[in-house]
This record gives sequence, C-alpha cells and structure tokens, in this order.
Amino acid sequence: MIYADDGSLSQEQRLMRDSCRAFVDDAVTPFIRSNWQREWDMSPGERLPRSILEGAETIGVRTLGVPEAHGGVDLEHDTEVRTFALISEEIARGDSGLADKLVQNWKVSILLREFAPKHLQDKWFPRLLADPQFLLAHCLTEPRGASDRWLPYNVPEAAMHTKAVLKDGHWVINGRKQFISNGFDASLYVVYANTDTSVGMLQGTSSFLVPRDTPGLTVTKCNETMGCRFMNNGELVFEDCRVPADHLLVQNTALGSAGKYFRAGKIIQAAKNLGVGVACFERTADYVQNYVQGGRILIKHQAVALRLADMATRIEAVRSLIERASRAVDEGHPDMDALCNMAKVYASEEIMKVATHALELHGGNGAMLEFGIEKLFRDAAIFLHMDATVDVSRMKIIKTMFPATAGKYAGPEN
Amino acid sequence: MRIMVAVKRVVDPNVKVRLLADGSGIDLTGLKMTMNPFDEIAVEEAVRLRELAIASEVLVVSIGPDKATETLRTALAMGADRGLLIKTDAPIEPLSVAKLLRAAAIEEKPDLILLGKQAIDDDCNQTGQMLAAQLGWAQGTFASNLAVEGDAVTVTREVDGGSQTVRLVLPAVITVDLRLNEPRYASLPNIMKAKKKPIAERQPADYGIVVEQRLEIVRLEEPAGRLAGIKVGSATELVERLRSEAGVLS
Ligand SMILES: Cc1cc2nc3c(=O)[nH]c(=O)nc-3n(C[C@H](O)[C@H](O)[C@H](O)COP(=O)(O)OP(=O)(O)OC[C@H]3O[C@@H](n4cnc5c(N)ncnc54)[C@H](O)[C@@H]3O)c2cc1C
Ligand SMILES: Cc1cc2nc3c(=O)[nH]c(=O)nc-3n(C[C@H](O)[C@H](O)[C@H](O)COP(=O)(O)OP(=O)(O)OC[C@H]3O[C@@H](n4cnc5c(N)ncnc54)[C@H](O)[C@@H]3O)c2cc1C
Repeated sequence: MIYADDGSLSQEQRLMRDSCRAFVDDAVTPFIRSNWQREWDMSPGERLPRSILEGAETIGVRTLGVPEAHGGVDLEHDTEVRTFALISEEIARGDSGLADKLVQNWKVSILLREFAPKHLQDKWFPRLLADPQFLLAHCLTEPRGASDRWLPYNVPEAAMHTKAVLKDGHWVINGRKQFISNGFDASLYVVYANTDTSVGMLQGTSSFLVPRDTPGLTVTKCNETMGCRFMNNGELVFEDCRVPADHLLVQNTALGSAGKYFRAGKIIQAAKNLGVGVACFERTADYVQNYVQGGRILIKHQAVALRLADMATRIEAVRSLIERASRAVDEGHPDMDALCNMAKVYASEEIMKVATHALELHGGNGAMLEFGIEKLFRDAAIFLHMDATVDVSRMKIIKTMFPATAGKYAGPEN
Repeated sequence: MRIMVAVKRVVDPNVKVRLLADGSGIDLTGLKMTMNPFDEIAVEEAVRLRELAIASEVLVVSIGPDKATETLRTALAMGADRGLLIKTDAPIEPLSVAKLLRAAAIEEKPDLILLGKQAIDDDCNQTGQMLAAQLGWAQGTFASNLAVEGDAVTVTREVDGGSQTVRLVLPAVITVDLRLNEPRYASLPNIMKAKKKPIAERQPADYGIVVEQRLEIVRLEEPAGRLAGIKVGSATELVERLRSEAGVLS
C-alpha cells in the first residue's frame, strides 16, 4: 500500500502505528491465515485463543482510554481520535473482529473516565488492566431497533423499552439489549435505560455501570454473525437487575453526553473498515503479481490492472476523509458530526467495493474459505450497518447540515 | 554497570527499495524507516540486564539526521533510560561512526557497549570491531548469548559451523547476532512515557571529529528480476527439472 507520511503525525503516533503493525504481522495475520476453521468454532469462547489478547497486551493496545493515573495510556488528548483511527486500522488489517473487541474497551473506558465516580474507577480500571481477557461492552440497541436512536426520533413513544427505576438506594433495571459488541463475554457493561417516560430519549435516557455478575443480568446468547466473527456479539436480558445508586453514570441526558463516544466511535468504525480494505489490497496485489493466466501474471492483463488501481484509489480516498474527519473531531470543529458520519458511511460502501474486487481478482480461490479472501468480504459487509445503517447515516448527515429544513425522517404516518 | 547501545536508522527491511535514477544510491524519499533489527536485539539485551539490576543505566546513541530521534525514541520506549543524538546529515561510514562512538564512550564512560553485528542497509559489519580497536577494549562479535559475571562477560559467538565461547574483561564491546534474544515491542504506554525521557544532542564537531567520506559508491544494481514460471507436463518432468535446472533435488 502507499506509504505516504505527510508529516502530520507525531513521532509517538508513528511509533504506535509501527508497534501495532509489527504485532499484527508477527502474531495476528499468521494465526488468521493458518486457522481459518477457528471462525466457525461453535463455542464462541474458544474461537480466539487467549494468546492473541495476551499478545495485544504486550503492546498495551487493550487499555487505551484508561487514564495514566490508573496505569493506562495517556494519549495526547488533542489528537486522541486520530490516534485511535491509526491504531484501529492497523489492528483490523490483521483481523477486524479482534479490532472490534479492543476498540469497545477504549470507547467504554472513555465513558468511565468521564462519568464514573472516582471510587468505581479505582475499582474497575485496575481489574481491566490486570486481566488480558477483560472486555467492556456498550449496550444501547434493543429488539425494536436502533435507527430511531441514531436519528434520533425524540418522542416519548420511541423511548427505550429498557427501564430503570430508583428503589431503596438501588436502580432496578428491566429490559433487553441485543446486537451488543463483546456482549457475550464482557466483564463490565455500560447500559442505557429509560428513566423518564414523559419525554423523548434525549431527555429521558440514563446510563449505568453493570458488572457481569450482577443478579438479574443474563447473557442469553452469542449472535452468530457473518463477519468480524472473533468479536462475540451478544444479547442480554435484565430482570429486576439491581445496581447501587452510585452506578448511575449520567442521569437523563446520557445519549447527549455520550456524544464524545459516538463521534470517536464513527471514526474508529471507518478506520477499522479501512484496515479491512488495506488487507484486501495487500493480499490482492500480491496474488496478481504471482498468479498466471493467459500466459502472464495477472497484473499484466489491463482488466486486472484497472481493478487494482480502483481498489487503491478508493482506499486512499477513504483514508483522506478519515484523516479530515478525525482532525475535525479532535479539534471540536462545528462540522464534526457531519464529517464523522460521512467517513463512516463512505468507508463502508467504498471498502465493500474494494472487497468485491479482491474477490473477483482471486477467481475461484476468492470463494474458498481456506484462502481468506471471502473472510475479508464478509468482514467488510458488517460495516454497512454496524453503528447505524448506511441510509440512516446519510439522513443524519443532512439533519446536521440543514437542521432547520431537513425533516425528522421519523414519526407516525397520518 | 552502565551500558551504551548504538542504534541506527535504516530502511524498513519489509519495504521494497528503488534505486536513484543515476544508480548512485537508494531513493529514500518517503520510504518507511525503522531501527536496524540487530540494534533492536542489542537494546533488548541491555534492557534485560537493566531489569535484572545488573546494569544501572542504558544509554542509546544514534548518529544521523534529526529523524534519527525517532529511532532513539523507540529504544527509549523499549526501556532505555536516555538518548544521545550525534547529528549529521552527511552519509556516514563505519570508521566515522566508530570514531564518534569512541568519543561518546570517553565522555559517557560505559562499562559495556552493545551494537548490532551489522546494519541491514549497507551490511558493513565493521563498526563494532573498529570501535573496540580504537578504544583498546575487549571485543566479542556475533554474540548469541552473553552473561555478565563481576567485571567480566562471557560471550557465546556464532561462528561457521558452531559456536565459540570467549570471556571478556570489562570494559568491552559486543556485537550481537540474531539468536541472542527476541526483542520486545515498544508498547503504546511506554511510547508515551518515552516522550518524557531525555535525548541530548551533539554535533561531530563537539568531539573535534570531521565526518569524512572515504568510500565512493561506483554503482548499485538491482538484483536480477524473477523469471516467469513455467507449466510442466507431468510429475516426472517436474522432478527432472527440479533436479537438473533448479538444483533443489539431488
Ligand atoms: C456487528 C454488530 C455490532 C453491534 N454492536 C452494537 C453495540 O455494541 N451496542 C449497541 O448498542 N448496538 C450495537 N449494534 C447495533 C447497531 O447499532 C444496529 O444494528 C444498527 O444501528 C441498525 O439498527 P437496527 O439493526 O435496529 O436496524 P433498523 O433500525 O431496524 O433498520 C432496518 C432498515 O430500516 C431503515 N430505517 C430505519 N429507520 C428508518 C427511517 N426512519 N427512515 C428510513 N429508513 C429507516 C434502515 O436504514 C435499515 O435499512 C451492532 C450491530 C452489529 C451488526
Ligand atoms: C463454487 C465454485 C464451483 C466451481 N465448480 C467447477 C466445476 O464444477 N468444474 C470446473 O471445472 N470448475 C469449477 N469451478 C472453477 C471456476 O470455473 C473458476 O474458478 C472460474 O472460471 C475462474 O477461474 P480461476 O479461478 O482460475 O480464476 P482466474 O482465471 O485466475 O481469474 C483471476 C482473475 O483474473 C482475471 N483474468 C484471468 N485471465 C484474464 C485475462 N486473460 N484477461 C483479463 N483478466 C483475466 C479474471 O477475470 C479474475 O478477475 C468452480 C468454482 C467455484 C468458485
């Protein structure tokens, strides 16, 4: 892939990227390439060997977002999102499911750092740091759907079904969450629930810290996904699940306060997606320079060259938009909401095309599981609707750009 | 015991290099650079000795342009304590490097100097030997194992067809080989911490040394391109060709 260092990265950012790349090349890619069956192991807990997360620990990549005072990494705050983007791209270049696992930890750590009372940070950050298998999860989506939340559709009727009520010094949570990244195997959850039924979700949703072993919390299943299969997506049920009052993170305005998380989340999403694209390109570039048809290596056929050029160009365009959008988020630019959604949606559609080219250029091999190209294609497909669908992301862009004239894009039919 | 480690910034061994149009050198524009892999092994060994409390301090030295501070930062993130950049933009040959390292050693007074056995860009394999000779110190080259005992170091050297064990009385210069250890990654937290570690800067002139160019590269050539593959008609033909043409079967 083109190595274009435009000088805008700090020395630390470059060194971090290099360490992640070395770890991926040494440990992740060789594992993925020689263990294609592991994705299909139907005991989700066994799919990814413990050694991979332990390896991730040697480069300290599981605990970004944990404050340095708690033994984590204090990234430069004014370039933090850009750094997240660089690192998540590198990890996803090895395996996007592994990247999903890790980035949930960063994103939820940011929330804890911002909103959890000090004694709970003192309690949980050390546990997170001590155990390489400790994962965090962020529970918003419910069976009724997630698009309303992204738009958002801010009326009482569309509020979250999961509810929390304060009773005798405890919040009692009832409801169900689905499609939750790390939901199957996380040790600690941030859960969003309705705490005021008279208003819309922006005014009536609170967030809570819920440890996995809390009575009333049941992990009901691991969702078997088409891609990113080394991240175990899960479903949770809350039945009179009681957490102490101090486990409330943000009261009523939790969705707005989580903006910090959502914006970084969109950029990270796009960057992981880019990593999948880079892997597609690298694999394909290598293949077409070695495999022979029509009496010459594939790259010497113009039709092949044109597709390869198209892959590279789309990847570079995605990269440029991610750089611009991540800088906007880091700088708090007024257009950051539009830009981070653009990066997310653009990456998902462009990298899908890149993966399609990779499949085509590998001929029959592209369709074979042991070759690993169809895995990249499946991984790429997941990005279209993780963290909001393509269409909802586009509506969101227009709502942010033209708030006065754009519609709500949701509401009852008359 | 104090250890000095020399680290060189080189082209990343994983990237494909291109020649300058006139064949006088490698086109370094926009290329990914990294620490010489053998120097990583030297840093790792020094850091391990430091962790075992055998060494009290690890100083890393690099000679090169401003950007070589990145190489020093990597070494600091791996666990070295402080860095020294001897700044020069000129092309630099083993003899000049040895002279500059000698000057730095006289100032810093390390008990042990570790270097990679060679740099993967010019493959000279000379600096450590020249440095030991100039300092008049003991030398152990191609180390695949080393053990410090009191004021001596036992070094296992990789030699053709086997190994040789030598005992050096400190101070000493050791160049390290591939099998000495497996270097750690610079972890993300340590990269951030390394930012706060000091890197001093000197010019060759500060040591009264003029960097001279004694060698002239006449021409560089790319290795011959790979020949196209062929299809063979049968397994028998394949075996025959592997024997007669490829020479991989006997
Ligand atoms: C792999 C994976 C990981 C996930 N991880 C998490 C997680 O960690 N935490 C979490 O909380 N959630 C998570 N999710 C959920 C994710 O955010 C949602 O799946 C996503 O936002 C889409 O919501 P939905 O599935 O309810 O689809 P729906 O909202 O039901 O969308 C279905 C279709 O209807 C369209 N649509 C919906 N509303 C409108 C409208 N008003 N106008 C026009 N079209 C509309 C959509 O664009 C889409 O095409 C994850 C999902 C996946 C697939
Ligand atoms: C599910 C499945 C079932 C199959 N079943 C059968 C079967 O029952 N019997 C059977 O015999 N085969 C079967 N095949 C093989 C199938 O026909 C080939 O995989 C297919 O024709 C592509 O050939 P290839 O894999 O060699 O790809 P390649 O020919 O190597 O193609 C790789 C890429 O190079 C391009 N390319 C190749 N040559 C040129 C050229 N001259 N100019 C420009 N571009 C070029 C291609 O378009 C493609 O993008 C099957 C394949 C699959 C995936």
